[in-house]
Formats: sequence, C-alpha cells, structure tokens
Amino acid sequence: MRRIRIGSAALAAGLIVICAQASAETIRFGGILPLTGPGALIGTAEMRGVQFAVDQANAKGGIGGNKVEVQFEDNQAKPDQSILSFNKLTDLQHVSVIFTGYSGPTLAMAPLATRKKVLLVNAGAQADALEKASPYLINTLPTIGGEIEVLSKYLTGEGKKKAGVLFENGAAGMAGRDDYLKYFPEAGGTILAQEASQFGQTDFRPALLKIADAKPDVMLVVITAGLLQMAQEYRQLDLKFGVAGTTFFADPSVIADPSAAGFVHTQLQIDAPPDLAAQFKEKYGADMEFFAKQYYNAAQIVLTTLDKVVADKKPVTGEAMHDTLLQIRKFQGLIPLEFKTNTASVPMDINVMKDGKDVLLKEMKLQ
Amino acid sequence: MLALQLLVTGVVTGCSLGVVAISFSLIYATTKIFHVAHAGIYTLGGYLAWSLVVYGAPVLVAAIVAIAACAALGALIQSQLYARLEYRRATHLVVLIASLGALAVMQNIIAAIYTPNILQFPIEWSRRMVSLGAVRLNYTQILTIFTSVAAYVGTMLFAHRTILGKRIRAVASNPMLADITRLQPQTVYIYVIAIASALVCLPGILVPLDLGLQPYNGVTPLLTATIAMIAGGVGSITGAFVLSVAIAVVQNLSLLVMPGEWSIGVTFFIFVVFMLFRPTGLFTAR
Amino acid sequence: MDFLFSYIVFAEIYVLLGLSTNLLVGIVGIFSVSQAAVFGVGAYLVAHFLMAADPLSFIPSLAIAALCCVALNILVTLPSLRVSGDYFVVTSFGIQLLATAVFTNWAEGTGGANGLPGIPPPDVFGLPIETTAQYVWLCTGAVLLGCLCFYLIMRAPFGRLLRAIREDEMAVAAAGKNVLRAKVSAAALAGAFAGTAGGLYATFLSFIDPSSFDLDASILLLTMVVVGGARTLAGSIIGPFLLLALPQLLTLVEIPTTVAAAARQLIYGLLLILFMLFRPQGLAGERL
Repeated sequence: MRRIRIGSAALAAGLIVICAQASAETIRFGGILPLTGPGALIGTAEMRGVQFAVDQANAKGGIGGNKVEVQFEDNQAKPDQSILSFNKLTDLQHVSVIFTGYSGPTLAMAPLATRKKVLLVNAGAQADALEKASPYLINTLPTIGGEIEVLSKYLTGEGKKKAGVLFENGAAGMAGRDDYLKYFPEAGGTILAQEASQFGQTDFRPALLKIADAKPDVMLVVITAGLLQMAQEYRQLDLKFGVAGTTFFADPSVIADPSAAGFVHTQLQIDAPPDLAAQFKEKYGADMEFFAKQYYNAAQIVLTTLDKVVADKKPVTGEAMHDTLLQIRKFQGLIPLEFKTNTASVPMDINVMKDGKDVLLKEMKLQ
Repeated sequence: MLALQLLVTGVVTGCSLGVVAISFSLIYATTKIFHVAHAGIYTLGGYLAWSLVVYGAPVLVAAIVAIAACAALGALIQSQLYARLEYRRATHLVVLIASLGALAVMQNIIAAIYTPNILQFPIEWSRRMVSLGAVRLNYTQILTIFTSVAAYVGTMLFAHRTILGKRIRAVASNPMLADITRLQPQTVYIYVIAIASALVCLPGILVPLDLGLQPYNGVTPLLTATIAMIAGGVGSITGAFVLSVAIAVVQNLSLLVMPGEWSIGVTFFIFVVFMLFRPTGLFTAR
Repeated sequence: MDFLFSYIVFAEIYVLLGLSTNLLVGIVGIFSVSQAAVFGVGAYLVAHFLMAADPLSFIPSLAIAALCCVALNILVTLPSLRVSGDYFVVTSFGIQLLATAVFTNWAEGTGGANGLPGIPPPDVFGLPIETTAQYVWLCTGAVLLGCLCFYLIMRAPFGRLLRAIREDEMAVAAAGKNVLRAKVSAAALAGAFAGTAGGLYATFLSFIDPSSFDLDASILLLTMVVVGGARTLAGSIIGPFLLLALPQLLTLVEIPTTVAAAARQLIYGLLLILFMLFRPQGLAGERL
C-alpha cells in the first residue's frame, strides 16, 4: 500500500510541475504520432517536419511575439494510446491543435476532437473515411481515393486495362484496394487478382508470383513499408508487367534503386526548396522526404492560421483556429493548396522512376 | 511455372527455418527451457553482421564475429539468468516469463540503436539472379540452402560422433543421473546454448541478407520453428529440419488455393489441431 | 480531469483483464498469451450487437459476449489439459496469432484492419453513459463486482481446491477431486471477466481495431500480473494501475522522444527479468 501512495504522490507532483509550466507565454500544440513500432519510420519523419517548421518560426521571433512549442506523444499507431494522449494533451497542456498521422488512430480521435473542439491536423493519412470523420479534422492532403481515380484513368488511357492489386493488410492498404476495385473498372479496366501482404513483412515473392500468374498488364500497389524489398524481388523474378502506385512510392531509397526503373505513380505536388532540404538534412541527418515535407507544410498552415488569430486578438482555442483556418482557405506553404472542404485540394502529377530519379511524366489536375 | 517457383521458394525459407528449429531443439531437449529469447539472438546476429559490413569489414569476417558474439550472448543468458533461476528452483512459468523479458529487452535495444527502419546489407552479389529452368533464385537463396543443409549435417555429426555431443545427449536424456555421474549438466547447458546461438546466427544473417533487417522480425520464425520442432518430435534433429521445410513448402503452396493473408493463420490452426490429436509429434526420438 | 478519468477507466478495464489472467496463469498455472484474443472477441461481439440492424442494449450485449467468451476460453484451454505446460505455450501463441489473423482478415465480421468506428455509447437500463466521468462510475462498478466475485470464490471451497491443485495436482486427483472440472471452471470464469472488459473497452473508445488485441497486448497483461503479483486480488489491481501509469511517468522525465518510446518497451522487459530474478511473487502476490 505504501508503494501506491508514493507512486501517486510522484504523479501528482509531476502534474503540478506541468501545469505551472503551462502558464508561461508559450503557445502549445500537440502531436500524436507513432514513434516506436512499425510505423515509427514515418512517424519520426512527420515529427521532424513539424518540429523543423516550428523551430524556424521561433528563430524568427515566434508568432506575434509568442514562442510556439509542440509536445509529441508516442501512440505506436494504436487507437487506445492515441485517446489517452489526446486527453492528456487537452486536459493538461490545453492544446488547441493536435497533429496526427495514420488512419486508425485519427479515426479513433475524431469524435473526441468534435466533442472537445480541438483542431486535428492530418497530413499523412489517406483513408477515405477521414473526409467525413469530424468537422474538426483537417486533412492537408487528398484521400487515397482521389489519387487512385486519377491513376486509373491514366493507366487505362495508356492501354493498360488488366490489373492485379498488391495491398497491405492495414487501414491504408485496404482503403486503397477498395478504391482500386471501384475506380479501375470505372475507368474501363478489369481487376484480375488481388493479393495481401502483412504490414512489416518483406517477403513479397509469393504474392508477386500469384499476381503474375493472372497475367496482368500492370500491378497496382498500395503498401507503406517494404517497398524497396518488393521492387528488388519484382526485378529478381523478372516479371513482365508494369508497376503503378500512389504518392506512397515517393521513397528516396526506392527511387535511387535501379530495381524500380519504370515504376509509375501519382505524386501529390509537394517540394521543398533545396536550401531548406539541406538545412533539414544537416539538422536531422536524413533526407527531407515526403512525410517530412507534408508535415512541414501542415505546420506552416497552422502557424499562418495562428498568426491571424493572434493578430485578431482572439484567444487561441481550437474553435478559433478551426474557424480561422477555414476562413483563410487558401494557403501557400511548400505548395499552394485550398480547403474547399475539410480536405485540401492539391494538384498532382504522374511521375516515373528513371535512372535513379523521379521524373515528371504528365501533369494532372484535381477537380 | 507458379507452383514450381513457390515450391522452391518454400524450400529456401524452410531451410533457414530448419536451422532455427534445430538450434532451438538443441536447447529445449537439453535444458527443458523454452528459450523464447532465442528470437532476440537471431535478430541480433543479423544486425551485428550488418554493422560490421557497413564499417568496411569483409563479409566472412563480419559473419564470424557475429556468430562468436551470439554464442557469447547465449552463454551469458544461460549463466546469469537461467542458471540463477534454476538455483532458486523457479518454476517453468517463471523462467519462461524471464526469457520473454530478455527478448523484449534485446528487441528494443536494437530498435533504439538502429531505428525501426528496414535496413539492407550493402552487398551487391547477394541480389544477383540465377535461372534454373523455370525457376529464378538469387545468390543469397542458394547460399541459404547450402549453408542450412551443411548446418544440419554438421549438427548431426556433432551430436553422434563427438564426445561433447554425446555428453549433451546424455545430459538431455537424464539430467539427474548426469548430475551424479559428474557430467556437470550446468556446464553442458552453457555449451549447448552457446552452440545453438552460434547456429541460429546463420539464418539470422542469411534471411535479412535476402529480405532486409527489422528489429521485431524474430518472433514469427521462432514460433513456426517450434511448431516444426514439436511436430517433428522433440529431441529429433532430423524431425525438426524436415518438418520446417515441410511447413514452409505447405505455406507457400497453399497460396495457390487461398489468399495470402490466411496462410500463417492456417499454419497455426493445423498446429492446434495436431496438439489435440497427436501431441507427441511425428518422429519421436526415443 | 478527463485525462485522469480516462486513465482510471483504462486501468479498471485492465484490472478486469488482470483478474482474468491471474485466474488462468497465477492460480490454475496455465501459461496463456492468448487472453488479449478473448478480450478482443468480447469487444467485437458487444460492438456487433450495439451496431446491429436491430440493436440490443448494453447490458444484454455484455451478457451474451461474456457467455461467448466463457465458451471460448473453455475451448481455448482444453488443449492445455491434454498437453504438458511447455507445448501449451506454443499452442497459446498460436491461438493468439490465429485470432489476430481472423480479426485482421475477416472484414465482414470485424471490419478487418480498418476496425469498427462509431460504436455507440452504452446505457445502463436506460441511463446513458456519455461523459468520461460517468464512465468512471460504470467501470468502477464493474470492477468492484469483479473483485467481489474473485474474493468470494477464493474464500470458497472452490478457491481452496484451485490452490491445492497448484500445490500438488496429483495429490488432489488421488483424493478423488475432479481436477479437470475445476480447471475448466476457472478458465470459464476468466473468460467472463475478459469478455466484460472487452465490452467496456469497445464502448469507451467507440473505435476498435485488431491492434489493441494482439500479442503485445497479451504480453502486457502477463507483465501486469507478474509485477502486480500473482494469484492475489491486490496484485490484479496494483499491476494495471502501475503499468499504465508508467508511460505517463516516463514523459515527465527529460528524455528525447524517440528514445523514450523504445525505453518504455525496454523497461517492461527489464521489469519482467528483474521481478522473475528477485521477486517472482510480484509486489503483492504469492510465489508464481
């Protein structure tokens, strides 16, 4: 029993310390991302993107004279950890904005965001359900359905009408698979086979062989981890069909590898100016790849919104941030985008991987 | 054709699984400890070899150093953890939980140091392809088959022809008698785990050479290997190896008739049924 | 306040699971890493009934789910009774992995990897439970009921029988007692606790997916029982509260975020080793 008393005293002391810190002149945001577990690769990149943008803003004197701080929580891409972290950030730190990634946890937090009026900002997850999950959920990138619709039209336009689908058995992968099943036939093609792979698994050979057996023109891919291994195994098995995917393909190690030559994919337009990318690399020792850029962009959107809220002398609440963001509507971060609904419209390209580089093939616009 | 390629790929996977099964079987048959931390040593071996190669060591040197390190770590776990627990007369459950703890520690140290990214061995020849009729394999897969069969043969020879091997089998068959007749079981246990850890380092390097390194990827192969060990009959090295290959081949061939996501589930379902109707395994040694 | 309340709710749900695991592992002595699977079945069943075309209300759904989990647990522990302890370890791992495969792949029944969003809040005989504070009342009530059950059973002749079986199974059998029936009954009770916990979890989170019911979750349960203390009521309560507080306490210490996250997993592993080496009875339990 003594042990419990000591433990709760320590917990209480800690809580008091945190609340005391909250009353200083800093504006606090939250970030709930996978920092361990299979999602950690992406989660860490996302965290760095946000932190990088915030550090730059603070170096320039903050927003309206206030420093901005982001408290990150590790949710291991699990919904229950996310709920605990969400409540912690809102109750103890009184954050008005929370950055999130991964579809499952975001969907779990969405009802809470609505109820507690906290702005939830997603710049990485693309499940279609995210469009309607909550009025307080802002998606800075289109759902995967948007990309797949465009990709399907492009492929059938190029004469590739028979396809097999390789998808990851997770929320994102299954959403993508369902979208392919919907949009590819709509664009005039047929799906001949579909194979699933487990998240984190790197042996794609059986799935590749099964798809090959159906003799498609092209293989449509929705996987978030293990893409490089898949590309290498595809090349080793000397398979004859084309490979196509969405922005998930834009992984620098895949682009650089000769196995991926000829891979085609939609690419949400997002780019960082070279000196920015160089600074990022210097600070974190890693390339500023897709998710880091997305979250840098999202952080810039939030900071721009914050600037206006502070300038209008409104209190920094989730409601104020939400309303102001949708009022501003058009943003110029790393790319121009517009919030006609909670989900941003972003122009996209079709790229192909060639000689170790990702090369523009065709520009397509979203409606 | 598809079936043949799946069969061959299954044989490759089965061979590496077979070495895991043999090594685990050595430990279990002798010490009666369900050493789940073995999966951690399997993982660690790959990462150590990777670090050395990345820092410029030739592949063979990296492999040998990694193998030696694994043997040392295995011996450490036995002498510092299991031996102490045995001295306190801990129940099987306690040892099992401690082993689980050791596994969690190893996996997370690796994850903390190397990050959870999938890492690749920077070895160019590992990915070169060879065509054997309708079947395509890369060098690593071929190396895996040869190494695993060699490991199997080596282990059989060791167990039946060398003095240490016979001593191990003696201790395994009757630990109490071994204690009285000065065969020193505790020392034998350390030898056994060291040898088994060295063995498991082989697939620990070869599999990631083909498929990439991940910190948490040791558990599933270990579980499949223990199924093979039990189904093959505990104490039978041949049983463990043969069943490993069989299970891997069946898993791969099952893709011809059912969607991929169910194949691991089916393996475990078959095992559970086995447990209900034939728990002693197919090739019971004694 | 919501944060404290949600911590309490989660801790209480895990106390129910702790009681379940303690019954199986601590008292009957069956090494089980498949309790999370039963937890998951309870959660999915309750979610299913609450969201069906003709929905049932909460308490009846909970009752049906608990009954199903009782049956499931009996089925799941039957192999352990035919097979010696170590073989059952692999079987238990296998059952857990099989369950995860079903949760992830059977999309029609469980929503697959996407999970089931939008589970409605529960109601206790017409009284709706919507705020976190009300949830605390509901869960505390459930936990008190569960603890009372556990306490009474352990004091009753049945409890003494179970303890005797743990000490010396053969002597008990020789004395003419039906060992098999006792073990199966304990497993059944454990199932009921796990199923109820599942129902509470599903309605509190309003979203469930397979990742909450995987092998890691089963291992966490085992850790809670080991650290809290095996075979006792106090242990089943201390373990969950302490282990759920651990990640929150860790964030109070200044460690870089990525390392802190892996550190937590590491600490669970270290706790298991250290407790097994130096205090196998846990903080408030009896020798495992």
